[in-house]
This record gives sequence, structure tokens and C-alpha cells, in this order.
Amino acid sequence: MSNSRVSYDEALAAYRPLAERPLQEQHDDVDALLRAYHPDYRADTMTTLKVGPNSGEPCHRQLAEVLQADARIDDADLAGGAIVETDVLVIGGGGAGCAAALVAAVAGAKVILATKLRLGDSNTVMAEGGIQASIDKSDTPQMHYDDTLRAGHHLGEKRLVSQMVMDGPDVIRWLIQQGMQFDMDEFGDLLTRRAGGTSANRVCFYRDYTGLEMMRVLREAVQNSDAEVWEYSPVVELMINEAGHCAGAVISNLKDCRYVQIIAKSVIIATGGIGRMHLNGFPTSNHFGATGDGLVLAYRLGAKLRDLDSFQYHPTGLAHPHHLAGTLITEGVRSAGTWLLNGKGERFVDELKPRDVVAAAILKECAEGRGVQTSDGGQGVWLDTPGLELRNPGILKQRFPKLLHLGKKAGIDPHISPLLIYPTLHYQNGGVAISEHGETTVPGLYCVGEASGGIHGRNRIMGNALLEIISFGRRAGAHAAERRHGKGHKRTSIDHLSRLRRELTISDMPMEQKSPMLFPSCAKFDTDVDYEGLRRNRRK
Amino acid sequence: MNNESQQVVNAVIDGKAIQAPPSLSVIQALWHAGYPRVKGVGCLEGVCGSCRVLVRRKDESAVNIELGCQTLVEEGMQVMFLVFPNPTHHHYRLSHIQNSWDLHAQFHRIFPEAANCRHCGGCTRGCPKGIDVEKGVELASAGRFKEAGELFVECIMCNICMTGCAEEIAPNHVGLFARRVTAYFHSRPSNLIHRLEQIRKGELRIEEDKDE
Repeated sequence: MSNSRVSYDEALAAYRPLAERPLQEQHDDVDALLRAYHPDYRADTMTTLKVGPNSGEPCHRQLAEVLQADARIDDADLAGGAIVETDVLVIGGGGAGCAAALVAAVAGAKVILATKLRLGDSNTVMAEGGIQASIDKSDTPQMHYDDTLRAGHHLGEKRLVSQMVMDGPDVIRWLIQQGMQFDMDEFGDLLTRRAGGTSANRVCFYRDYTGLEMMRVLREAVQNSDAEVWEYSPVVELMINEAGHCAGAVISNLKDCRYVQIIAKSVIIATGGIGRMHLNGFPTSNHFGATGDGLVLAYRLGAKLRDLDSFQYHPTGLAHPHHLAGTLITEGVRSAGTWLLNGKGERFVDELKPRDVVAAAILKECAEGRGVQTSDGGQGVWLDTPGLELRNPGILKQRFPKLLHLGKKAGIDPHISPLLIYPTLHYQNGGVAISEHGETTVPGLYCVGEASGGIHGRNRIMGNALLEIISFGRRAGAHAAERRHGKGHKRTSIDHLSRLRRELTISDMPMEQKSPMLFPSCAKFDTDVDYEGLRRNRRK
Repeated sequence: MNNESQQVVNAVIDGKAIQAPPSLSVIQALWHAGYPRVKGVGCLEGVCGSCRVLVRRKDESAVNIELGCQTLVEEGMQVMFLVFPNPTHHHYRLSHIQNSWDLHAQFHRIFPEAANCRHCGGCTRGCPKGIDVEKGVELASAGRFKEAGELFVECIMCNICMTGCAEEIAPNHVGLFARRVTAYFHSRPSNLIHRLEQIRKGELRIEEDKDE
């Protein structure tokens, strides 16, 4: 079958931008399509957890490996180390962490925000499409609620979703008051565009730089607030108190390679996603630091996770050239009306279907030999940007500067040539189970943003991630700040690790791997002589 | 895999002699050669501003500051990572600026050095995004914040212009200030305000169990 596939050069030579390309009527049953082609349904990649609060539940094999791995530290590592106290510790310096830290600091709490790399190093900064909020007069929060649940295959948590969509407009107001700009019409009204799988124009945006604009504003706001920022300070373990509540965290400072204990009355995990674990070998659109650390930390402390077998593969990752594989092209490009074409130049799916459906349809085209083959063994389908430009002259330059910049790096002009795309690992749909305030099942431990679960069911729509991080970030920040009035911890420790090690041994799990992962394997962090402190426990 | 694209170039990155294909960024090249690197690595897409590197190309004496994820490795190139970004000494809170008529005066109180720009062009030359940074500082100093902010649309806060400024103006923070005050004082979208009012009055509610 692969012989029938057309090569990149042949397909490009045959390509012509056209003003009209009718979509053939689709007869595919959506559920059957997902079951046959979506990577979540590959049986060989799933396993059952044996240790921890989710024992007996299905989980992606690669994720299970880090959830059931040994810790990086033990008591000896903490002896004689520095100890610092705070009211609220926020782990993670993306949009969710910044929102939580800002709100907690304004509420009067002493806040430390610890981040693995630099403040703002996150997936937030890379988000392009926009943020959903029901503002347009043809839209209602109810429609936003219905769209979110439907896209998530009705597996989202209803109360969390309804609270988030009602927060939407106020989230936009709050962001404007932090100094964030949005694209507006001539009268100063917010412009909105439509996300795949939704029923109204609801995505507010700033060019295709929505996340960059949001992140630089929030970073500046945090740096000018009373919150203390600790950069290059990955958390390697959480701590517990005498009652089993979360009591702080141990960070490993990458500057001087020392461990520091931060004792906190509440801890907010805002560590983001898992893309850099490259599940099923897929390329990823994610930031360098997206290694799922928060899931591991929370799970070890006893927090319940959910939907550990559901991930989002964004339909439009760049597939050519090879060194840029996985780089995201915003869904905004499809929202604006760009078509997807197979190797024969035919449309094969309604481009504005939910992401999981579009991704599965692309994988199907490729599997059935209608993809375009690259010289390095990759494949994909066309994103017909010249066709969009033909129908809307000037739209690429006006609305998608980041796409044109990507084209420049790739040596492809999207005005003239279509871009070859293939699904890229984009988002963790599930995560740590939370309440309306972002509380996990462990008292004193909160989780917000991509690391948390329950909102998106088994599939997320564009723009709901940026809404979620601010909606829940603010709520968790406010709720956690209130806990500063509670009495402090009598005793703090990492005693939960003895239980972990006992359970791992009883379940006959291999103890070689350490987690959290902290950095992608390509960076070779665990062999870096600069980090002797973190290497001490490595396998001999 | 075809082998014709397997040509490699020689470069020195952080003092280590490496060989790598020229299609790789200097960060990828360092990893490719087997060396660890986590500090200064960020989004790998040129939008987070973390991976600032000093670069000297073969047969050139000039040293430039560029973004490591956006700079492809070249024959004879020397590269050094600039790891820890320099925080600015300027501090302000939007909520402390009570009145937008007072904005111009407040700007010069917060950024007193901006008026001292000597027009050396160091900031503009260094900008990896091609922003006319110097012009932005000039516009902001003249109180033209909206215009100044428009120039900084693509700014990723990599701080290279700060490093290049002899007067310690922190031009990127000037640009961000200009953008933030524009939103803070002048964005009042009527469609958003109307919707907030509807929600406040309880006119819009969610029925969680409504059948679709």
C-alpha cells in the first residue's frame, strides 16, 4: 500500500490553490473512526496501575512508568539543608501558576513561586489560538458549557465546567486589568473566532500570539508583586505533615545544586503537561519542561488522578522539514477557513470537527496510503494555506504572523506552498482530580491548569486551556491564601516515601527509574556532571 | 534515512568541540554531540526568550547575542550560553497609577533612564525579532504609549536589548509598560461589559442537566 503514496516533491508539483474544493459527504461513524485510528485506543500502549490511589485503573504505559518509579531523594539528602517557610507555595511558572501567585499575594499571603526553569517558561507562552469566553451576542455560557461537555464526550465534571464557563467573561476582564491586549474591532469590541467543534464565535485572541501576550503580561505582573520567584528550582518531592496533609516541597536548586525545603501551609501544583514524554513516539508541540512532574508529585502524596489514558494529539503539527517536526500550527488557521488536503488534493474531513476527530481522520488518510511521504520517512497531509490566502487576500500577514515566521524557518512560504502537517502530542486531557477550588484529595494540596483533570473529558476544544488556567488559577490562589490563618505544621517530612518504596517492592516494580523526570531525555540531565546532588541516588 | 544529508559541521559550543548536521539549532547540536544541556532551554520555538547565546561566526570578530533555538549551527561557529537573565531594577504596579492623565509623568518616574537614550542603536541591532526598539523607547518617552506598544507586538522578553543598553533603560520593559497601560486604561470592550452585567444580574445561568 505504501507504494501508492505520493512523495513530497510530486505532491507539491501537482498542488494548485483553488477557490473551491467541496467536501465529499462523510459517512464515517465518529466513534468507529476514533476507535480505529486515535492513538488513545491502541491497546498495546495501556497498562493497569499497581501502586497508589489509582491502583487497578488503566493508564498509559509510559506515564505508569514514572508514576510507579522510585523517588529522587531520601532523608539523608535533606540533612543540614536550608529550610524556608511560606504561606503558599506555587509550583510552576506558567499562566496558571502566575494567576494563582498573583491572587494569593494580593489576598495578603506570603507566596513563593518555584519554577523549574525561568518564570514564564511554559506551554502558555506557546498557545496561539486564543481563550474562550462567552461574550458574543449570539453566544451564551450555556452553549459554551454544552460545547465543552460534548467535545469531551460527556466525561467532563459538570460542576467544574459550568463554573469555568461562567468565569469566562470575568477572566478576560481580569487579564485586561493585568495589562493584556486583545484584538478588537473599530468600536473597541472584542473580536471572537470560532473553535473546532463549537457552536458560536467564542475565542478571544491577540493575533496568533495570545499566549505570548498573556505570559509576558503575567510574568511582569508577578515580578512586580509581593510574590517571591525562585527560578531554576524544580521540585523533586512534596512533603507531608503529621496528619498526612501536604506541608511543602523539596526543591533542587539548579544554580548551586542544593536541596531546600519550603514549608508551606498550602501548595499549588501548576506544572503543566506531559508532551516531552513523547507518548507513543509522537512528536510534541510542548515546551521543554512539559515532563509530567506534577502528576508524579501529587500521586506519591496520595492524590487521586483521573483520565490517565486520554491525551490530545493536535491535528496540525508541522511534518516537514524534519528538524521542526511537531511544531504547532494554531487551530486558528483552520478556524479562519483553511482546508486539509490528502496526497490527491482532496478534502477528507470537516476541518472544524473536534481535534480528536480531525487528528484521527489524518491518521486514517496516512494509514490508508493517501498521505504525502517525506524523504526522511515521515508523512502527513497538506494544510492548504495558499487556498485560504486566495479566498482572503492578506489574511496570513494580518492574522498569522507567527505562522509566517515558522514558514521562514522552514524555508516554505505559506502564501505559495501548502504546509505538510501530521498530528502532534499536544495536551494531557486528564490529570489530578480537583474540586471547584482546585483542591486535590490531599488536604493542603491544590492543582490547577493542564496538570489537573476533569474539565475536558477525553478531548479539549481550542481556547479552553487558557481559560482554565486563569479561572482555576485565580480560584485556587484565593482559596489557598485563606489557609494562611490555619495553624502551622507540627512536623514535616518525606515519610510518605517509605510507604511508596514498600508498595513498589511488594508490587515487584523495578526500582531503577527515578522520577519526577524533570527534563526530557534528549537533554541528558541525569548524566550531567553539573548536578551531582541529583545524581546521588542514580542506579549504580 | 538517506545518507546524502548526513554532512556535518564543526563548531565550539560552551567550550566543547562538537560535530553536528547543519540543520540543527545550536541547542540540538549540543545534544546531538552527547552533551547535556537544560539551563537556558525553553520553548524551542523562539517565543520564550530563554536560550540567549553569544555567537561568533567563522572569520568574524563581532560577537552577537542570539536565541539558541533559532540559530542553526555553522562551520567554525563559537557559541556560549548566557544562562541567568538579568532582572530589571524597574518596579511599578498598574494599580498605583491612579489617573491616566498622570501616565506620562509616572512613566518618567518609573523609567527615569528612558529620556537619556543616546540613540546608539544597540537595542535595535540586538533584537532577534527585528523590533525597532530604539524608536519604541523614543515614542514611550514622548508619552505615545499606544504607538510604542504596537512596535513590541513580537517581543519575547529575552532581555537582549537590556544587555545592549549602556543607559540601563530596559527597553523591553518600557515596551511592555506601554502595552500594559494601553490595555489597563483604554480597553473597555462594550460587548464584554454587557456580558458581565448580564451575569451580574443573574440573567445567564447554566442548567447542568439540560438535555441537548
